[in-house]
Amino acid sequence: MKRKTYKKQKDNVEFPILTDGSGLMQNPVPPDDQTPSWSERKSRSTGLAQLTYEYFERARLEDQDIRSRADYLEREVLGFPMWPHEVVRGFAITSFFIGIILLLSAVAPPHIAAPANPSQTPAVILPDWYLYWSFGLLKLEPLNPALSILGGDKIMLDRTFGVLANLVVVGFLAALPFVNKGKARRPVEEPFWAAFGVAGVVFAFTVSVLSVKNLVPLNSHLLFDLTFILPVLFGIVFYSLLKTMREGYMYELNRRYYRLRPPKPYRPPKPPK
Amino acid sequence: MTPDLKEHYDYSKWLSEKELTPLEKTYLTILIWADQRLRIVDYLESMENLYYKINMQMPRSHTEQYNLDNKFWYWYPLFALGTFSVIAYIVAAISGALLGFYYSPATAGDPSVAYNQITYIMTDLNFGFMLRSIHRWSAQVMVAAVFLHMLRVYFVGAYKEPRELNWIIGIILISLTLMFGYTGYLLPWDQLSFWAGQIGVEMALSIPILGEWVAQLMFGGFSLGQATLQRMYILHVFVLPFAVTTVIAIHIGIVWMQGIAEPH
Ligand code: HEM
Repeated sequence: MKRKTYKKQKDNVEFPILTDGSGLMQNPVPPDDQTPSWSERKSRSTGLAQLTYEYFERARLEDQDIRSRADYLEREVLGFPMWPHEVVRGFAITSFFIGIILLLSAVAPPHIAAPANPSQTPAVILPDWYLYWSFGLLKLEPLNPALSILGGDKIMLDRTFGVLANLVVVGFLAALPFVNKGKARRPVEEPFWAAFGVAGVVFAFTVSVLSVKNLVPLNSHLLFDLTFILPVLFGIVFYSLLKTMREGYMYELNRRYYRLRPPKPYRPPKPPK
Repeated sequence: MTPDLKEHYDYSKWLSEKELTPLEKTYLTILIWADQRLRIVDYLESMENLYYKINMQMPRSHTEQYNLDNKFWYWYPLFALGTFSVIAYIVAAISGALLGFYYSPATAGDPSVAYNQITYIMTDLNFGFMLRSIHRWSAQVMVAAVFLHMLRVYFVGAYKEPRELNWIIGIILISLTLMFGYTGYLLPWDQLSFWAGQIGVEMALSIPILGEWVAQLMFGGFSLGQATLQRMYILHVFVLPFAVTTVIAIHIGIVWMQGIAEPH
């Protein structure tokens, strides 16, 4: 079996690194002659299996290379102790949170409406609050385009349009990581996407209100327009705010990252002995 | 040939020679007994190896590298929202399991068995009113926490590479959570349930192409009845609990593997 030896940087202890699957730790029970190493298994296998071994070997080498260059192989402080620090904190947070649930259920217990009656449509039909947004999206029929080619007919049923609107919203959310890429994390770093998020949240609210429009004392056309205007408005306000903050803020951040802590110089890997 | 070393490794002798407290003795006896049958040592050892490979060798986190100290911590309450979803889910599961002893999904009867059972739980059953209230509220709180958790993930940009997969799993989770809420909403079989169910059937029917099939599958037909209630019940107490628990486990497992994305 081929073994490469690296010097561990901190205490200069020699330790073997195996790239054949057994990794950094030396196996306390060394494999006997019959146990095939990764390289042997690789050479015996063909096709996809062989490719898998080849890839694993490369990945291991990469890890190893990174580790031999990094100067922080092992953390000095791993974290707070599980007991009592983390356990007590977790217990406190958990009890507090369960306490809130119990308090809510004591203060505002649910009641039950009249029994189901198919022959009597109630004045207000509503799902639970968390589905209002979806319910509101069903009421977008003024947006359903009426095409003159179809003789003024709409391209699809209003109902279908509403269901598709739901699918579009969820689909867009699912695609988000592939639409907005990059390393930026803080809202100031990407004012557009932060403002977009704010607009989305506001839209979730306005479209929820739209879903209960027969309870809202507002002209329904006005309400419909507000449903779309408010989110855009909020978006614009947030965009300008973030843009304004951005310069000073990014300056601070950059200074913190790059001036005070210049990037570490590259140190070439230690060659294997 | 395997050498017979039993005499060299006489564990009962070893045990009796050691001075052990009863606790230690019991522990060791059980450990040895199990290990001689299952060779636990090997598994423990490989788990330990795994632990060291994964945990001890991880590069320092961003906060450590840049010495951000407490700059990260003022975000902390928002990072607890995922955990809060889990806690609320557990509370809902426990209270729901208890409610399950008394509820039955049947539309027969006057007005219906389902409705009567809820009334029974609320008026006659000891602690029933409380139990239903806790179940209802933990569900509401869970949905709220999940929404807010999603917002924090969005505004902290935590959905970006390498966490795209977990974001998509999250979308699945929130959909399942909402489905949980919806199916539960139908169970009391009161006016609200019935007409919310009506909207559901109509929505299902308006899905292009697949509509009728979806309505059949989810609601057991095109108009509401026993089949609908029964399907909602099975979804709510059997299918969704397994699905959601599994997906949450995967979701959190991935967070564990990838670490939390810190804002920087
Ligand atoms: C049943 C619902 C959910 C549960 C129980 C849950 C649980 C968790 C937990 C415990 C974490 C660890 C970090 C934290 O607590 O903030 C987490 C992280 C994460 N969740 Fe969720 N989550 C759920 C729904 C969602 C949803 C709806 C999304 C987004 C669409 C999502 C996306 C993510 C992502 C991307 C991370 C990694 C964040 C990071 O590394 O900072 N999760 N989740």
